[in-house]
Amino acid sequence: MKEAVEVGLGIIIAFLLYTILGKISAAFLQTFNVFTLVVVYFAIARGEIFGASIGTFCGLIQDSFSLGVFGVAGISNTITGFLSGYIAGKINVTPFARNFVFIFFMTSVELVLWLFLYSFIFSEGFNTGKGLIFFQPLITAFLGSLIFLLLRRIKTKYGKE
Amino acid sequence: MPLFLKIKKKPIILFSLIFFQLVLISLQVPLGDEQTYFEKAIFFVFSPVQHGITSFFQKIGNLWENYFYLWNAQDQNQKMREEIFALREENSLLRYTLQNFKNEKEIEDYLSRIHQSFLIASVIGVDASNIYKSIIVNKGTLNGVKKNMVVLDKYGNLVGRVIGPISLKEARVQLITDNESGVSVLPQDKSAVGVVTGDAKGMCFLKYVLATQEISEGEEVMTSGFDSIFFSGIKVGKVVSITSDTSLFKKIIVRPYFDFGELDHVAILTLNSKEIF
Repeated sequence: MKEAVEVGLGIIIAFLLYTILGKISAAFLQTFNVFTLVVVYFAIARGEIFGASIGTFCGLIQDSFSLGVFGVAGISNTITGFLSGYIAGKINVTPFARNFVFIFFMTSVELVLWLFLYSFIFSEGFNTGKGLIFFQPLITAFLGSLIFLLLRRIKTKYGKE
Repeated sequence: MPLFLKIKKKPIILFSLIFFQLVLISLQVPLGDEQTYFEKAIFFVFSPVQHGITSFFQKIGNLWENYFYLWNAQDQNQKMREEIFALREENSLLRYTLQNFKNEKEIEDYLSRIHQSFLIASVIGVDASNIYKSIIVNKGTLNGVKKNMVVLDKYGNLVGRVIGPISLKEARVQLITDNESGVSVLPQDKSAVGVVTGDAKGMCFLKYVLATQEISEGEEVMTSGFDSIFFSGIKVGKVVSITSDTSLFKKIIVRPYFDFGELDHVAILTLNSKEIF
């Protein structure tokens, strides 16, 4: 039950951030992938199956709010979630620097998969937002590792008290 | 559970999830523009959440803005009074002109039809995969929004048309900058008919204008009404570049008039041209 609430909360927070960022400026959506961040977070915490399942869910939400083929972001996030959980099970990705590199790598994987599927299905180029999209792994990794650090600190503090 | 399933449980779940999504993708092929029920359901559930979040933050933002707004209220009030005066003058002149060919009852009906012909909608979401493809607005079936209704910006320039999914209070609008869109257009001098389609990067192409037809840079492009979706005379954009090669058609680039950065509110035309005029 606690897990379900946590996942629901994670998705709602991701969706909230996605809506607010999109309202402020569309460029934020291209540089900060909140859905992938949620997928990576839960994959690290709960493993590859959980990561893949939440990846499917987050990806399909993302797809339903964009015009295109329903399932493209779904597949890329499912694979990312599974891989994140698998790698996090083998390597400790908790320290800040490792966490940064890990999120950077996983966001890059998601982006490459998405771009590949998009180009494959539509047989055309994609809008890179004047190159902004290529900063997505870096910015998501930076903000993501800061958020994860903050969450860990909060958990530790509450755990001690 | 068989041993095989126990060992391969994780890859089986992963491939099942991927297979499920591949099925979803393949289901869309025969549907064309239409969305699957699954996609509609997700949109139906999550679009009110998006609507709520946007409204909440808009209200907070408004509180902050209103405070600063009060500082300039007197100046703005004066400007608005002058603007209202000018609009009243224009309105009375137009009413006077109308009286020349219609009786009072017809004029009242006509003006009331115009007043009910559009809905003002707020943009509550943009397309995450490509911002120039679609937007989500805060009006839906409860407000009378239907598929293929024309959407304009605050200056009356063409933005796009309503497509599915449409939920109770939200709808998706396909922008003219989407590469899957198509609008039948005419240049200012009506010398050629073409189709404007987006490049999904913020600009549009004017297609199917023969190399022999005359069209010049800077020329305004308007809807022709031939597609039976967009009625004639709506401003679309301006021709910014024309190139010709050995092909049958010219390669024409059109800059749309609507500004994506200013697209916070749009007008949805709820009546078609025959009902208005």
